[in-house]
Amino acid sequence: MIRRTTVIRVLRVACCAVAAGGILPARAAAQIYLGHDIPHRGSLEISGGAIGSGGYDLGSLSAEETRNTGTGTGPFVLFSTSSRTDASAGLQGRFGVYLAKSLSVEGGALVGRPRISTRLTGDAESAPDLTATETLTRLVVDGSVLFHLAGASFGGGNGVPFVSGGAGYLRDAHEKNEVIETGHEFRVGGGLHYWLGQGKHRFGMRADAGVSWRTGGADSAETYRTVPTAAGSIAYLF
Amino acid sequence: MRRGAALFLTAALVTVSAVPAAAYLKLGTKVGTRTVTLKWSQLPIRYFITDRGTTGVTSTQLQQTVQSAFSTWEAVPTAQISSQFVGTTLANPSSGDGATVIGFQNRPDLERTLGATSFLIDTTSGAIVESDIFFNTAFPWSVAAQGETGMFDLQSIALHEIGHLHGLAHSAMGETELRAGGRRVIAAESVMFPIAFSAGTILGRTLRADDIAGIGDIYPNSTYTRGTGSISGKITKSGKGVLGAHIVAFDMRTQKLVGGFSLTDDGSFVIAGVEPGPHVLRVEPLDDGDIESFFDATLNIDVDFRTQFYDKIVVVPKAGGTSGVELKVVAK
Repeated sequence: MIRRTTVIRVLRVACCAVAAGGILPARAAAQIYLGHDIPHRGSLEISGGAIGSGGYDLGSLSAEETRNTGTGTGPFVLFSTSSRTDASAGLQGRFGVYLAKSLSVEGGALVGRPRISTRLTGDAESAPDLTATETLTRLVVDGSVLFHLAGASFGGGNGVPFVSGGAGYLRDAHEKNEVIETGHEFRVGGGLHYWLGQGKHRFGMRADAGVSWRTGGADSAETYRTVPTAAGSIAYLF
Repeated sequence: MRRGAALFLTAALVTVSAVPAAAYLKLGTKVGTRTVTLKWSQLPIRYFITDRGTTGVTSTQLQQTVQSAFSTWEAVPTAQISSQFVGTTLANPSSGDGATVIGFQNRPDLERTLGATSFLIDTTSGAIVESDIFFNTAFPWSVAAQGETGMFDLQSIALHEIGHLHGLAHSAMGETELRAGGRRVIAAESVMFPIAFSAGTILGRTLRADDIAGIGDIYPNSTYTRGTGSISGKITKSGKGVLGAHIVAFDMRTQKLVGGFSLTDDGSFVIAGVEPGPHVLRVEPLDDGDIESFFDATLNIDVDFRTQFYDKIVVVPKAGGTSGVELKVVAK
């Protein structure tokens, strides 16, 4: 008799321990993100910060003249050019609306001053090689959809990663602003919000990284250029 | 004028002395203290063809070839020009009688001249009253569609001379090498380059960007004024202007080349008729032809400087201009 009772008590304790282990972690996550009413449908987020864009090649060209017969083959190359858009930094601001706890849409604007460099080489009359430059004023206005990965949150739920994708309008103003050229871009990426606090109104930090495919603007080639981007912002959720 | 043997093309300005007015070059003349561009004030240009052929070319073929060359210029979308073949004539092409005459003439004394254009102008306005063109029968001519070995393509040379007839001077958009007997063209990117391509080719039948910019500059239409732009600035050396420097604008989108010259003592230049967009600039001394092929011999053309590029990308606006370019060159 005594022996049987002891066994039963041990089993009860073990069952309680298992139950607590199964419930508590889920409860903790729900408290920070899913269980609170912030963010909810209609919550707003504004953010602003710095963004860096990688450089990309714009291609090579030759200044050619028509070759006379008997003086060689192919066009006569007066000189050659090789151009690229240098890596650049800029400022961006974004405004978002949550459509659901894990889904938001946002619009933003980016302003940067990328420099275009053209390397001039191989002159037929031995002009010294030189790099000619021009600085653009670039504006990108875009719209994005963000999916917030609540299930992957960390830091007590303060850190919430997201993935995003969007498209934008590109406007390049050449020096002196006399010539404006437009284009567009598509973008995918991901990032992270880290909220400072858990109140209804909260500040936080936001990091973005992604890849843009740009065409048009100062780049006349009818092709998409792949541009890596990274940004860091301060965000406010309310 | 186009010269043979060493195959030069130089403008023969028999009736009046003309001086360059602006880039490409355009022909000009002094009216008082001003230099004005030579151009026709009345269109269409009415012309006669001499009723004489030469070996391998009948007068009818001459007329058809000249008409084709006029049509090539008139097809430039940025220029407003027109011409009219009036009929044949027995008059010589250089008669100074008020009638524009184009034809063959035997000029063995001009041993390096394929053809030449002369003008009669109104010296009060710069308006061209008459212009005559001769093709030198001291050289073998061809009108074959694909050209003929050892013979000069009449259409190519007619296109060049009719460029003069409209008011264009010589372009420096080409490269040459010195050989026994004169210069030989290595390459050119303008019909108005003063030295002809070798006999047997028809490379000179096609207008290039430099020619198109030039003719549009003289006879602009609305497409020109709305659709092209200009680059202006100055070329200096040791703080002083350089006269006669050749500036080349390379369009980084279309790969077209348009050239111009610094034409004042302070080194100022204007290249008009340039397509909008980014360009790189290159300046070189005038060393690919006789200076007299381009400029009045009395001008002090500076060729003592090194070829070099400009360190800024120049973006040409549509229907506007990019000014303030200063390219500092150094002596050789």
